[in-house]
Amino acid sequence: MTTSVVAALAAMLLFVAFGPRLGDRLPPAAATVVLTVGSVIVAGSTGLVLAVLALTWLGQVPLIASMADWSAAELDASSPIPEFIAVGGLALLLAAGLRLLIRAVGRGRALVEVRRAHRGAPALVIVVDSDRPDAFATPSPGGRIVVTSALTEALSPAEQRVVVAHEWAHLRLGHTWWLLLADLAEAVNPLLRPTTGVVRHAVERWADEHAAREVGNRELVARTIARVALLRHDAGNPAVIPAATGGQVPRRVRALLAPSPGRRPWLAAVLVVLLMCSAVTTVAVERTGDALFDGVGTVQER
Amino acid sequence: MPRRTKGSLEREVRAVLTAASQPLTPGQVRDALGGDLAYTTVLTVLSRLFEKGEVARETLGRGYAYTAPYDAAELAARRMALMLDDEADREAVLTRFVHGLQPEDEHLLRGLLSQ
Repeated sequence: MTTSVVAALAAMLLFVAFGPRLGDRLPPAAATVVLTVGSVIVAGSTGLVLAVLALTWLGQVPLIASMADWSAAELDASSPIPEFIAVGGLALLLAAGLRLLIRAVGRGRALVEVRRAHRGAPALVIVVDSDRPDAFATPSPGGRIVVTSALTEALSPAEQRVVVAHEWAHLRLGHTWWLLLADLAEAVNPLLRPTTGVVRHAVERWADEHAAREVGNRELVARTIARVALLRHDAGNPAVIPAATGGQVPRRVRALLAPSPGRRPWLAAVLVVLLMCSAVTTVAVERTGDALFDGVGTVQER
Repeated sequence: MPRRTKGSLEREVRAVLTAASQPLTPGQVRDALGGDLAYTTVLTVLSRLFEKGEVARETLGRGYAYTAPYDAAELAARRMALMLDDEADREAVLTRFVHGLQPEDEHLLRGLLSQ
Protein backbone atom coordinates (compact mmCIF):
# COMPACT_ATOMS: atom_id res chain seq x y z
CA MET A 1 0.00 0.00 0.00
CA THR A 2 2.80 2.42 0.86
CA THR A 3 4.33 1.76 -2.56
CA SER A 4 1.11 2.54 -4.40
CA VAL A 5 0.53 5.73 -2.39
CA VAL A 6 4.08 6.93 -3.12
CA ALA A 7 3.67 6.01 -6.81
CA ALA A 8 0.34 7.85 -7.05
CA LEU A 9 1.82 10.96 -5.42
CA ALA A 10 4.86 10.77 -7.70
CA ALA A 11 2.71 10.53 -10.85
CA MET A 12 0.64 13.46 -9.62
CA LEU A 13 3.70 15.60 -8.91
CA LEU A 14 5.18 14.77 -12.30
CA PHE A 15 2.05 16.03 -14.03
CA VAL A 16 1.81 19.11 -11.82
CA ALA A 17 5.46 19.97 -12.53
CA PHE A 18 5.75 19.14 -16.22
CA GLY A 19 2.13 19.38 -17.43
CA PRO A 20 2.10 23.18 -17.69
CA ARG A 21 5.50 23.32 -19.45
CA LEU A 22 4.63 20.65 -21.99
CA GLY A 23 1.05 21.86 -22.42
CA ASP A 24 2.26 25.38 -23.16
CA ARG A 25 4.00 24.08 -26.29
CA LEU A 26 0.97 22.19 -27.61
CA PRO A 27 -1.51 23.66 -30.09
CA PRO A 28 -4.16 25.54 -28.04
CA ALA A 29 -7.06 23.11 -28.52
CA ALA A 30 -4.97 20.06 -27.56
CA ALA A 31 -3.45 21.92 -24.60
CA THR A 32 -6.89 22.89 -23.30
CA VAL A 33 -8.31 19.37 -23.55
CA VAL A 34 -5.27 17.43 -22.26
CA LEU A 35 -4.50 19.81 -19.38
CA THR A 36 -8.13 20.13 -18.28
CA VAL A 37 -8.77 16.39 -18.36
CA GLY A 38 -5.40 15.96 -16.61
CA SER A 39 -6.36 18.45 -13.90
CA VAL A 40 -9.60 16.61 -13.25
CA ILE A 41 -7.76 13.26 -13.03
CA VAL A 42 -5.17 14.73 -10.66
CA ALA A 43 -7.90 16.32 -8.52
CA GLY A 44 -9.80 13.02 -8.37
CA SER A 45 -6.61 11.15 -7.54
CA THR A 46 -5.80 13.70 -4.81
CA GLY A 47 -9.20 13.20 -3.22
CA LEU A 48 -9.06 9.42 -3.41
CA VAL A 49 -5.52 9.03 -2.06
CA LEU A 50 -6.25 11.42 0.81
CA ALA A 51 -9.49 9.57 1.57
CA VAL A 52 -7.73 6.18 1.75
CA LEU A 53 -5.01 7.64 4.01
CA ALA A 54 -7.62 9.28 6.23
CA LEU A 55 -9.62 6.05 6.48
CA THR A 56 -6.69 4.09 7.89
CA TRP A 57 -6.93 6.40 10.90
CA LEU A 58 -10.69 7.10 10.90
CA GLY A 59 -11.34 3.34 10.75
CA GLN A 60 -9.76 2.99 14.16
CA VAL A 61 -12.34 5.21 15.82
CA PRO A 62 -14.35 2.65 17.86
CA LEU A 63 -17.77 3.82 16.66
CA ILE A 64 -16.77 3.71 12.98
CA ALA A 65 -15.02 0.36 13.40
CA SER A 66 -18.06 -1.21 15.02
CA MET A 67 -20.39 0.18 12.37
CA ALA A 68 -18.15 -1.00 9.56
CA ASP A 69 -17.60 -4.39 11.19
CA TRP A 70 -13.86 -4.46 11.34
CA SER A 71 -11.44 -4.63 14.22
CA ALA A 72 -9.90 -1.32 15.24
CA ALA A 73 -6.95 -3.04 16.94
CA GLU A 74 -6.18 -5.20 13.91
CA LEU A 75 -6.41 -2.18 11.62
CA ASP A 76 -3.98 -0.31 13.87
CA ALA A 77 -1.58 -3.26 13.78
CA SER A 78 -1.75 -3.94 10.04
CA SER A 79 -1.98 -0.41 8.61
CA PRO A 80 1.37 0.58 7.09
CA ILE A 81 0.47 4.27 7.22
CA PRO A 82 1.90 6.19 10.20
CA GLU A 83 -0.78 7.93 12.22
CA PHE A 84 0.50 11.48 11.59
CA ILE A 85 0.32 10.93 7.84
CA ALA A 86 -3.20 9.55 8.07
CA VAL A 87 -4.35 12.48 10.24
CA GLY A 88 -2.59 14.91 7.89
CA GLY A 89 -4.41 13.26 4.98
CA LEU A 90 -7.72 13.77 6.74
CA ALA A 91 -6.98 17.44 7.37
CA LEU A 92 -5.98 18.02 3.72
CA LEU A 93 -9.06 16.11 2.52
CA LEU A 94 -11.38 18.29 4.60
CA ALA A 95 -9.62 21.45 3.41
CA ALA A 96 -9.88 20.33 -0.24
CA GLY A 97 -13.55 19.46 0.18
CA LEU A 98 -14.28 22.83 1.75
CA ARG A 99 -12.41 24.76 -0.94
CA LEU A 100 -14.25 22.84 -3.67
CA LEU A 101 -17.62 23.46 -2.03
CA ILE A 102 -17.03 27.19 -1.58
CA ARG A 103 -15.77 27.62 -5.14
CA ALA A 104 -18.50 25.50 -6.72
CA VAL A 105 -21.23 27.45 -4.91
CA GLY A 106 -19.67 30.80 -5.84
CA ARG A 107 -19.25 29.92 -9.51
CA GLY A 108 -22.74 28.36 -9.61
CA ARG A 109 -24.25 31.58 -8.29
CA ALA A 110 -22.36 33.67 -10.83
CA LEU A 111 -23.62 31.36 -13.63
CA VAL A 112 -27.23 31.85 -12.52
CA GLU A 113 -26.76 35.61 -12.13
CA VAL A 114 -25.28 36.00 -15.61
CA ARG A 115 -27.94 33.82 -17.19
CA ARG A 116 -30.72 35.82 -15.53
CA ALA A 117 -29.17 39.06 -16.70
CA HIS A 118 -29.48 38.23 -20.40
CA ARG A 119 -32.74 36.35 -20.22
CA GLY A 120 -35.05 37.59 -22.95
CA ALA A 121 -32.31 39.36 -24.89
CA PRO A 122 -33.42 38.98 -28.51
CA ALA A 123 -29.99 39.17 -30.19
CA LEU A 124 -26.72 37.23 -29.91
CA VAL A 125 -24.68 40.40 -29.51
CA ILE A 126 -25.62 42.80 -26.71
CA VAL A 127 -24.14 46.28 -26.88
CA VAL A 128 -23.87 47.76 -23.39
CA ASP A 129 -23.73 51.52 -22.94
CA SER A 130 -20.47 52.04 -21.05
CA ASP A 131 -17.38 54.21 -21.31
CA ARG A 132 -15.25 51.22 -20.41
CA PRO A 133 -13.89 49.31 -23.43
CA ASP A 134 -14.69 45.67 -22.83
CA ALA A 135 -16.02 42.53 -24.52
CA PHE A 136 -16.87 39.10 -23.19
CA ALA A 137 -19.02 36.05 -23.86
CA THR A 138 -21.38 34.46 -21.34
CA PRO A 139 -21.46 30.66 -20.99
CA SER A 140 -22.98 28.47 -23.68
CA PRO A 141 -25.52 27.08 -24.49
CA GLY A 142 -27.64 30.13 -25.13
CA GLY A 143 -24.77 32.47 -24.25
CA ARG A 144 -24.48 36.02 -25.52
CA ILE A 145 -21.63 38.20 -26.70
CA VAL A 146 -21.41 41.46 -24.79
CA VAL A 147 -19.56 44.46 -26.24
CA THR A 148 -19.49 47.93 -24.72
CA SER A 149 -20.26 51.08 -26.67
CA ALA A 150 -16.80 52.44 -25.80
CA LEU A 151 -15.21 49.47 -27.56
CA THR A 152 -17.37 49.59 -30.71
CA GLU A 153 -16.75 53.34 -31.03
CA ALA A 154 -12.97 52.88 -30.81
CA LEU A 155 -12.68 49.95 -33.24
CA SER A 156 -13.02 49.80 -37.00
CA PRO A 157 -15.70 47.47 -38.42
CA ALA A 158 -12.99 44.93 -39.32
CA GLU A 159 -11.64 45.00 -35.77
CA GLN A 160 -15.16 44.64 -34.35
CA ARG A 161 -15.53 41.55 -36.48
CA VAL A 162 -12.39 40.10 -34.89
CA VAL A 163 -13.78 40.67 -31.38
CA VAL A 164 -17.10 39.04 -32.23
CA ALA A 165 -15.40 36.12 -34.03
CA HIS A 166 -13.15 35.51 -31.01
CA GLU A 167 -16.05 35.58 -28.54
CA TRP A 168 -18.20 33.49 -30.88
CA ALA A 169 -15.47 30.81 -30.81
CA HIS A 170 -15.56 30.84 -26.98
CA LEU A 171 -19.32 30.39 -27.11
CA ARG A 172 -19.46 27.73 -29.77
CA LEU A 173 -16.62 25.64 -28.33
CA GLY A 174 -17.99 25.85 -24.77
CA HIS A 175 -14.74 27.33 -23.44
CA THR A 176 -16.28 28.44 -20.14
CA TRP A 177 -16.86 24.82 -19.19
CA TRP A 178 -13.26 23.79 -19.79
CA LEU A 179 -12.12 26.76 -17.71
CA LEU A 180 -14.57 25.92 -14.93
CA LEU A 181 -13.45 22.28 -14.78
CA ALA A 182 -9.80 23.31 -14.48
CA ASP A 183 -10.76 25.97 -11.95
CA LEU A 184 -12.65 23.48 -9.73
CA ALA A 185 -9.83 20.92 -10.01
CA GLU A 186 -7.47 23.62 -8.76
CA ALA A 187 -9.74 24.17 -5.76
CA VAL A 188 -9.17 20.51 -4.79
CA ASN A 189 -5.42 20.58 -5.41
CA PRO A 190 -3.83 24.06 -5.34
CA LEU A 191 -0.66 22.62 -6.88
CA LEU A 192 -2.62 22.72 -10.16
CA ARG A 193 -2.54 26.54 -10.24
CA PRO A 194 0.15 26.79 -12.96
CA THR A 195 -1.76 24.20 -15.02
CA THR A 196 -4.95 26.26 -14.75
CA GLY A 197 -3.02 29.35 -15.84
CA VAL A 198 -1.86 27.54 -18.97
CA VAL A 199 -5.43 26.36 -19.70
CA ARG A 200 -6.65 29.97 -19.44
CA HIS A 201 -4.05 31.11 -21.93
CA ALA A 202 -4.67 28.13 -24.24
CA VAL A 203 -8.40 28.87 -24.40
CA GLU A 204 -7.70 32.46 -25.49
CA ARG A 205 -5.20 31.25 -28.09
CA TRP A 206 -7.76 28.71 -29.34
CA ALA A 207 -10.34 31.48 -29.84
CA ASP A 208 -7.68 33.73 -31.43
CA GLU A 209 -6.83 31.08 -34.02
CA HIS A 210 -10.53 30.62 -34.79
CA ALA A 211 -11.00 34.35 -35.23
CA ALA A 212 -7.92 34.46 -37.49
CA ARG A 213 -9.40 31.76 -39.71
CA GLU A 214 -12.79 33.50 -39.72
CA VAL A 215 -11.44 36.89 -40.82
CA GLY A 216 -8.62 35.34 -42.83
CA ASN A 217 -5.97 37.67 -41.42
CA ARG A 218 -3.72 36.75 -38.46
CA GLU A 219 -2.10 40.16 -38.32
CA LEU A 220 -5.46 41.91 -38.03
CA VAL A 221 -6.36 39.70 -35.06
CA ALA A 222 -2.97 40.42 -33.45
CA ARG A 223 -3.44 44.18 -33.89
CA THR A 224 -6.99 44.10 -32.56
CA ILE A 225 -5.91 42.25 -29.40
CA ALA A 226 -3.09 44.73 -28.82
CA ARG A 227 -5.35 47.71 -29.47
CA VAL A 228 -8.15 46.51 -27.17
CA ALA A 229 -5.66 45.70 -24.42
CA LEU A 230 -4.16 49.20 -24.68
CA LEU A 231 -7.62 50.82 -24.84
CA ARG A 232 -8.58 49.03 -21.64
CA HIS A 233 -5.28 49.99 -20.09
CA ASP A 234 -5.70 53.66 -21.06
CA ALA A 235 -9.26 53.67 -19.72
CA GLY A 236 -7.69 52.88 -16.37
CA ASN A 237 -8.87 49.34 -15.89
CA PRO A 238 -6.98 48.10 -12.88
CA ALA A 239 -4.97 44.93 -13.44
CA VAL A 240 -6.73 42.94 -10.74
CA ILE A 241 -6.09 39.83 -12.78
CA PRO A 242 -4.34 36.80 -11.31
CA ALA A 243 -0.61 37.08 -11.81
CA ALA A 244 -0.68 33.91 -13.91
CA THR A 245 -2.38 35.78 -16.76
CA GLY A 246 0.24 38.56 -16.78
CA GLY A 247 2.24 38.82 -19.96
CA GLN A 248 -0.36 36.81 -21.83
CA VAL A 249 -1.53 39.57 -24.13
CA PRO A 250 1.93 40.09 -25.68
CA ARG A 251 2.27 36.32 -26.00
CA ARG A 252 -1.05 36.07 -27.84
CA VAL A 253 -0.04 38.88 -30.16
CA ARG A 254 3.36 37.32 -30.89
CA ALA A 255 1.84 33.90 -31.51
CA LEU A 256 -0.45 35.41 -34.11
CA LEU A 257 2.37 37.29 -35.82
CA ALA A 258 4.31 34.01 -36.11
CA PRO A 259 3.20 31.23 -38.48
CA SER A 260 0.40 29.01 -37.13
CA PRO A 261 1.64 26.44 -34.61
CA GLY A 262 2.69 22.89 -35.46
CA ARG A 263 0.88 19.88 -34.05
CA ARG A 264 3.52 18.15 -31.89
CA PRO A 265 1.62 14.88 -31.30
CA TRP A 266 4.49 13.35 -29.28
CA LEU A 267 4.16 16.07 -26.63
CA ALA A 268 0.49 15.26 -26.20
CA ALA A 269 1.42 11.57 -26.01
CA VAL A 270 3.88 12.22 -23.15
CA LEU A 271 1.15 14.03 -21.22
CA VAL A 272 -1.37 11.26 -21.84
CA VAL A 273 1.12 8.65 -20.60
CA LEU A 274 1.73 10.75 -17.45
CA LEU A 275 -1.99 10.88 -16.84
CA MET A 276 -2.40 7.16 -17.38
CA CYS A 277 0.32 6.57 -14.76
CA SER A 278 -1.60 8.82 -12.39
CA ALA A 279 -4.86 6.97 -13.05
CA VAL A 280 -3.29 3.49 -12.73
CA THR A 281 -1.47 4.29 -9.48
CA THR A 282 -4.65 5.82 -8.06
CA VAL A 283 -6.55 2.64 -8.80
CA ALA A 284 -3.72 0.72 -7.12
CA VAL A 285 -4.09 2.85 -3.98
CA GLU A 286 -7.81 2.16 -3.96
CA ARG A 287 -7.25 -1.60 -4.40
CA THR A 288 -4.56 -1.93 -1.73
CA GLY A 289 -6.65 0.19 0.63
CA ASP A 290 -9.59 -2.07 -0.02
CA ALA A 291 -7.44 -5.14 0.64
CA LEU A 292 -6.25 -3.67 3.94
CA PHE A 293 -9.81 -3.24 5.18
CA ASP A 294 -10.88 -6.66 3.87
CA GLY A 295 -8.02 -8.23 5.85
CA VAL A 296 -9.05 -6.74 9.18
CA GLY A 297 -12.72 -7.68 9.00
CA THR A 298 -14.00 -9.50 12.07
CA VAL A 299 -16.99 -10.72 10.06
CA GLN A 300 -15.79 -11.86 6.66
CA GLU A 301 -18.59 -12.23 4.18
CA ARG A 302 -16.43 -13.27 1.28
CA MET B 1 -52.95 32.76 -3.74
CA PRO B 2 -49.54 31.02 -3.96
CA ARG B 3 -46.55 32.87 -2.55
CA ARG B 4 -44.52 34.65 -5.16
CA THR B 5 -40.76 34.40 -5.34
CA LYS B 6 -38.69 37.58 -5.45
CA GLY B 7 -37.90 37.12 -9.14
CA SER B 8 -41.46 36.39 -10.24
CA LEU B 9 -42.79 39.38 -8.31
CA GLU B 10 -40.25 41.62 -10.05
CA ARG B 11 -41.41 40.25 -13.41
CA GLU B 12 -45.06 40.86 -12.55
CA VAL B 13 -44.37 44.42 -11.42
CA ARG B 14 -42.46 45.09 -14.65
CA ALA B 15 -45.30 43.61 -16.69
CA VAL B 16 -47.83 45.88 -14.95
CA LEU B 17 -45.68 48.95 -15.65
CA THR B 18 -45.12 47.93 -19.28
CA ALA B 19 -48.85 47.49 -19.84
CA ALA B 20 -49.74 50.83 -18.27
CA SER B 21 -50.16 53.88 -20.49
CA GLN B 22 -48.94 56.34 -17.85
CA PRO B 23 -46.59 56.33 -14.84
CA LEU B 24 -47.97 54.36 -11.88
CA THR B 25 -47.65 55.04 -8.16
CA PRO B 26 -46.75 52.12 -5.87
CA GLY B 27 -50.39 52.05 -4.71
CA GLN B 28 -51.66 51.73 -8.28
CA VAL B 29 -49.12 48.96 -8.96
CA ARG B 30 -50.32 47.11 -5.87
CA ASP B 31 -53.98 47.40 -6.99
CA ALA B 32 -53.08 46.13 -10.46
CA LEU B 33 -51.33 43.11 -8.93
CA GLY B 34 -54.49 42.05 -7.15
CA GLY B 35 -54.11 43.97 -3.92
CA ASP B 36 -53.12 41.07 -1.65
CA LEU B 37 -49.59 42.43 -1.25
CA ALA B 38 -48.39 44.80 1.43
CA TYR B 39 -47.76 48.34 0.23
CA THR B 40 -44.20 48.18 1.58
CA THR B 41 -43.52 44.97 -0.39
CA VAL B 42 -44.47 46.67 -3.65
CA LEU B 43 -42.44 49.73 -2.68
CA THR B 44 -39.38 47.54 -1.98
CA VAL B 45 -39.69 45.74 -5.31
CA LEU B 46 -40.05 49.04 -7.19
CA SER B 47 -37.00 50.59 -5.53
CA ARG B 48 -34.98 47.47 -6.23
CA LEU B 49 -35.97 47.53 -9.90
CA PHE B 50 -35.08 51.21 -10.03
CA GLU B 51 -31.66 50.57 -8.46
CA LYS B 52 -31.02 47.88 -11.05
CA GLY B 53 -31.92 50.41 -13.75
CA GLU B 54 -34.80 48.31 -15.04
CA VAL B 55 -37.56 50.88 -14.43
CA ALA B 56 -37.61 54.69 -14.47
CA ARG B 57 -39.38 57.00 -12.04
CA GLU B 58 -40.49 60.59 -11.73
CA THR B 59 -41.53 62.66 -8.73
CA LEU B 60 -45.27 62.81 -8.21
CA GLY B 61 -46.53 64.72 -5.19
CA ARG B 62 -44.51 63.47 -2.23
CA GLY B 63 -43.59 60.14 -3.78
CA TYR B 64 -42.62 58.62 -7.12
CA ALA B 65 -44.49 57.30 -10.13
CA TYR B 66 -42.82 54.47 -12.06
CA THR B 67 -42.59 53.54 -15.74
CA ALA B 68 -40.96 50.68 -17.66
CA PRO B 69 -39.57 52.39 -20.76
CA TYR B 70 -37.16 49.65 -21.90
CA ASP B 71 -37.73 46.82 -24.35
CA ALA B 72 -36.21 43.33 -23.94
CA ALA B 73 -32.96 44.25 -25.71
CA GLU B 74 -32.45 47.44 -23.69
CA LEU B 75 -33.29 45.62 -20.49
CA ALA B 76 -30.68 42.93 -21.16
CA ALA B 77 -28.11 45.58 -22.03
CA ARG B 78 -28.80 47.48 -18.80
CA ARG B 79 -28.50 44.28 -16.77
CA MET B 80 -25.32 43.22 -18.53
CA ALA B 81 -23.82 46.63 -17.74
CA LEU B 82 -23.81 45.56 -14.11
CA MET B 83 -21.75 42.51 -15.09
CA LEU B 84 -18.82 44.66 -16.21
CA ASP B 85 -17.30 44.97 -12.75
CA ASP B 86 -14.62 42.43 -12.06
CA GLU B 87 -15.70 40.00 -9.41
CA ALA B 88 -13.84 36.73 -8.89
CA ASP B 89 -16.76 34.33 -9.39
CA ARG B 90 -18.14 36.21 -12.37
CA GLU B 91 -14.69 36.55 -13.87
CA ALA B 92 -14.44 32.74 -13.79
CA VAL B 93 -17.61 32.16 -15.80
CA LEU B 94 -17.12 34.87 -18.45
CA THR B 95 -14.64 34.62 -21.30
CA ARG B 96 -13.15 38.11 -21.75
CA PHE B 97 -11.53 39.29 -24.96
CA VAL B 98 -8.47 40.58 -23.10
CA HIS B 99 -7.58 40.72 -19.46
CA GLY B 100 -5.45 43.38 -17.82
CA LEU B 101 -1.94 44.32 -18.76
CA GLN B 102 1.14 44.17 -16.61
CA PRO B 103 3.01 47.50 -16.61
CA GLU B 104 5.83 46.12 -18.76
CA ASP B 105 3.32 44.72 -21.30
CA GLU B 106 2.29 48.23 -22.31
CA HIS B 107 5.63 49.15 -23.90
CA LEU B 108 5.88 45.76 -25.53
CA LEU B 109 2.46 46.13 -27.15
CA ARG B 110 3.04 49.70 -28.32
CA GLY B 111 6.26 48.45 -29.88
CA LEU B 112 4.50 45.57 -31.62
CA LEU B 113 1.74 47.88 -32.89
CA SER B 114 4.13 50.42 -34.38
CA GLN B 115 6.02 47.79 -36.37
